[in-house]
Amino acid sequence: MSTALARFIAWRLLVAGLFVLVVSSSAFILVRLAPGDASREVFQTGVSDASIAANRQRLGLDQSLPAHLAAWLGGVARLDLGNSSSDGRPVTGVVASHMAKTASLAALALVVAAALGLPLGILTGTRPDSLVTSIVTVISLALVCCPPIIGTLALAFLGASTGWISIAPGNYLWPTLALALPLAAMLERLQSQAAAEAFAAPDIAAAAARGVPVRRLVWRHASRQALRPVLGVAGVVVATLFSGSVAVETITAWPGLGQLMVQALHGRDLYLVAGCALAGATLIAVGNFCADLLRAAVDPRVRLIS
Amino acid sequence: MALLAVTVVAACAAPLLAPYASSEQFDDRAYAAPTRIHIFDTDGVHAPFIRPLVLEDRVAHRYVEDPSTRIPLRWFYQGRLVVTADPAQPLLLFGADAIGRDVFSRVLFGAGLSLGVTLVGVAGALLIGACVGGIAGTVGGWTDSGLMLVADFLLALPGAYLVLVLRGVLSPVLDTSQIFLLMSALFALAGWPHAARGVRAIVATERTRDYAEASRAAGAGTWRLALQLLPAARGFLAVEVVLLVPALLVAEATISFLGLGFADTSASWGRMMQDAGNTMVLADAPWLLAPAIAVFVVVLGTQLVSRSGGRTTILIAQSPGAQLS
Amino acid sequence: MVLVSAVVALAGYGCSRTTQGSDRPDSLTIQNGGRIVSTYRSEPKSFNRYVKSTSADEVVSRLINATLVRVDRKTGKVEPRLARSWTASPDGLTWTFALEPDVTFADGTPFTSADVMFSFQALYDPKVHSDLAASLMIAGKPMTVRALDAHTVAIMFPSPYAPGISLLDSLPILPAHKLKRALEAGTFLDAWSVTAPLADITGLGPFVIREFIPGQRLVFARNPRFWIRDASGRPLPYLDEIELQFTPDQNTEVLRLEAGESDLMTDRVRFEDLAALRDLATKGRITLHDAGVSISPDALWFNLDPAAKSARDRPWLQREEFRHAIDLAVNRSKIVNTVFLGQAVEVAGPITPGHAEWFLPELPRPAFDPAQASKRLASIGLVDRNGDGFVEDDKGRMAKFSVMTIAGNSVRQRSFSLIQADLGKIGLKVEEAQLDGQSLFQRWDNGDYDAVYFAIESDAFDPGRNLEFWMSSGPYHLWYPKETTPSTPWEGRLDALMTQQSSTMDAAQRRQLFADAQRLLAEHAPALYFAAPKVTVASSARLQGISASVLMPPVFWNAEVLHVTGPRR
Repeated sequence: MSTALARFIAWRLLVAGLFVLVVSSSAFILVRLAPGDASREVFQTGVSDASIAANRQRLGLDQSLPAHLAAWLGGVARLDLGNSSSDGRPVTGVVASHMAKTASLAALALVVAAALGLPLGILTGTRPDSLVTSIVTVISLALVCCPPIIGTLALAFLGASTGWISIAPGNYLWPTLALALPLAAMLERLQSQAAAEAFAAPDIAAAAARGVPVRRLVWRHASRQALRPVLGVAGVVVATLFSGSVAVETITAWPGLGQLMVQALHGRDLYLVAGCALAGATLIAVGNFCADLLRAAVDPRVRLIS
Repeated sequence: MALLAVTVVAACAAPLLAPYASSEQFDDRAYAAPTRIHIFDTDGVHAPFIRPLVLEDRVAHRYVEDPSTRIPLRWFYQGRLVVTADPAQPLLLFGADAIGRDVFSRVLFGAGLSLGVTLVGVAGALLIGACVGGIAGTVGGWTDSGLMLVADFLLALPGAYLVLVLRGVLSPVLDTSQIFLLMSALFALAGWPHAARGVRAIVATERTRDYAEASRAAGAGTWRLALQLLPAARGFLAVEVVLLVPALLVAEATISFLGLGFADTSASWGRMMQDAGNTMVLADAPWLLAPAIAVFVVVLGTQLVSRSGGRTTILIAQSPGAQLS
Repeated sequence: MVLVSAVVALAGYGCSRTTQGSDRPDSLTIQNGGRIVSTYRSEPKSFNRYVKSTSADEVVSRLINATLVRVDRKTGKVEPRLARSWTASPDGLTWTFALEPDVTFADGTPFTSADVMFSFQALYDPKVHSDLAASLMIAGKPMTVRALDAHTVAIMFPSPYAPGISLLDSLPILPAHKLKRALEAGTFLDAWSVTAPLADITGLGPFVIREFIPGQRLVFARNPRFWIRDASGRPLPYLDEIELQFTPDQNTEVLRLEAGESDLMTDRVRFEDLAALRDLATKGRITLHDAGVSISPDALWFNLDPAAKSARDRPWLQREEFRHAIDLAVNRSKIVNTVFLGQAVEVAGPITPGHAEWFLPELPRPAFDPAQASKRLASIGLVDRNGDGFVEDDKGRMAKFSVMTIAGNSVRQRSFSLIQADLGKIGLKVEEAQLDGQSLFQRWDNGDYDAVYFAIESDAFDPGRNLEFWMSSGPYHLWYPKETTPSTPWEGRLDALMTQQSSTMDAAQRRQLFADAQRLLAEHAPALYFAAPKVTVASSARLQGISASVLMPPVFWNAEVLHVTGPRR
């Protein structure tokens, strides 16, 4: 591996680590500062002040904010994220399982979206006048306007009335489609534009004149050029996926990070919220990092700029 | 463009167009289907009328029309475009929700809230973005790097999580106008980074122009200089509006849907979608999707507007919209 | 007095240990074995019932633990459980229980009076600060326990207590040999947490915990050492296994039941699901059980602390006439029909037909009369002075107030929307403040609120067991808890009535006193009640033996007699 690439990777890892740290610490601080905490059970009768104080101590709320944050970060280094204030379960385990659920959903949605959107985009970009292009473009436009929350409800109706889509819990189909379809449409639109430009570039036209078959031109040369702008928005794609997953997880009862975070916020469960933020930030950082690597692989200029 | 115009006009004219108040509730109309408007009767053609609805089974939400009576529509009655002659037999163009409120009226009034908070949020985001981007572009150096670092950091966060956490930790007792302001503020906070980046890039380029140098030499302060350079970003900001609107609208829908936004009576679109979240009833009452369709229409409108700008399609993907939806 | 206590003692004495309550099917036709799946919407927070008290914790406790006596949810009678018989002293304050001999915990250790002593010790330990302790105090004082021998205990009430030993139905008996050390070391609060090894957990109940996978399921297996047998002498429980599948979503629960994947849901059926489930019931796939009318109706109460911030510039907020106006302005039948789809009863107080003999049918219910309501508002100076449709006080300020609710309960949400609309019609501007549980509770506790719309779950029919609500010094005296002295004369009268009601042994007199108390409460209306829903529980058709109750848990309170008629389809 060249030193430029190695430096690039090292730098990106550092940025990712810092990102995760800052995000989770911010969440921690926000919840600590917010009014209300978990030191007493809801509607518990006749709680004595001594009992509340003891509870606060168990939850670490009697420490000052900087000391508490430092203690928590120390725990993070040991992969100990504390215990949930509602049932005492170790946060690490709970967050890990929910994180896996969200990650699997997001990854599947990404794969489906890319598999649908990119090839269709190249198709519509390089054949602007065909009937298929028109149909795909219209559908794509409609789907772009269906953000995950709308899409989930629409698919719910479709599934409940026709039974084509199973709305049973734990079934990947419904939430994946809700997340993937608008993303696929966006990728298709983007890829279409990029492919059209790449296809019109002089060197491609020259190759066509030389007699290189259109198929090869499209899939070998133009697609490489066209991928670049798509990868450029990878960061946004990752953020989109997680943002959309909050609503999707709630409606489809998917046991992921979004659902856990909402619950934790309701119960003022400090360690759980911070743990969710940590996990979420990690997933985003990983997603961005992979996107950066792909971009570096496709476009050598990126490595040098860093 | 036409789509957007129609929506905005409908929202503003809601008190006239909507047959009923957003909180008006009708007895024995829970989950009632959209009222059928008839013109033909056994004895020929009449002015448009409806038939009274009779409750058949309360638990199963079944209603039947009473074929023996006609209830004519009244136009321009008491400041409303159209109502029925009998207040107890309402005109439910989009059916009724879980407790018998007119979905059509609520969608119209909800437009004011949802679109309102979106537009105010957009304005706030652009204002902050222009200021931050302007300063960063004008001053350059460490300030520039620092501000852009913050912007990049915020850009990488999923917007929904950000607003969720911020709204989740603040639980003061709020009324509708306070919620409106709080949500607008949160949206502005979530939306400014992208605008700031764009403005900063443009301003930084402008800074190198001759007139800027001249102004600097003449002793203009940072703020005055920034104000001189900002107009160059006009076009960009105009495009940003078109991109932020759908993003923030969806953000409002999400937050209200999760119960952290507007309260039930104020009929924001996101709140109305909660009723649709009950998949058991949704199959039998698809009109509950009306607010979702309304959001779709607005987003579609903005998409079409941006498409008419040609190359702006690429900007869609790079927009803050994607990360907030 | 002697005669009365003798009668009461005889009532408890001699109940055969094979009687399990009323309306049992012919036990000879019941098949042994089988497993059922119940979906459950929340997870237990601890396996130690003394430490946590959510509904999931209660279910676990009912399945793995046993109590000294049990109140049959259908008949209201006290039945022997771990105590086979009991006698009362002449003054009614000391009850001597003969414990079942030859009973062992699930791990084989014999059950003795030492376990009863230990349970009470842990219950009242101030460091444990058990939620249960509050419901097992008599007039604020604990009971005292003495072990007379290995199988006899004497429990002393500090003062006469009319509900009597029925309150022991709430106290699961814990194994001293497993938990005594933890109590002495001060780690009782963490013992039997959800992360504890299952081998540490043992009890006297019909089931034992076999498997717990957080986020997925909790599986109970038959306790082969459970001592109770049915009428034909067969050892209980009938079922081999009960699985609780954690399903956080209500829609999912219904879908699972409809698909035949589960046999039971967490608790009551939602009204929007009734139609579909009714269809299935007619087809014979599921059974709908009528549990009766709920005993915990939603209440709208106001902050009546004279020192409250809310009342400083809005004195009308604490006026009785104001509350009466609201009582008259809300259309109860509309709530019953629209929100509860007709499956509810209009109520005017916290006692509903679900409370059986304590309900007062002749208690006058306010008619729906908005005109009268407006007159009441006018009588305290609230009139519409500027024609904007809202009433203002004499300084011209609009009469508005906020009501705190908890997000997430759609039925309560809808009821509140209707109430809000009705109050708007008489000119009151009501703002809804949707909060999470923690915030709402904190504000209520600090007195930092105008009004609350909520329901506290009741755990007994007998009002003598709910004194924390009725007494002005009670912590659940919703509108002004923990008063040091009654703040109004009527609260003082109410205190006197309830004290008498809970210490008199004469049943007829108790009913009379409580009727007076209810009338007094209705007269001053510190909290307003509108409708109480009918509770229905749904199960698969194969699951039999259910006696659905409005008390928690609705089905598993008598889990040992549940049985199935065949495999799940």
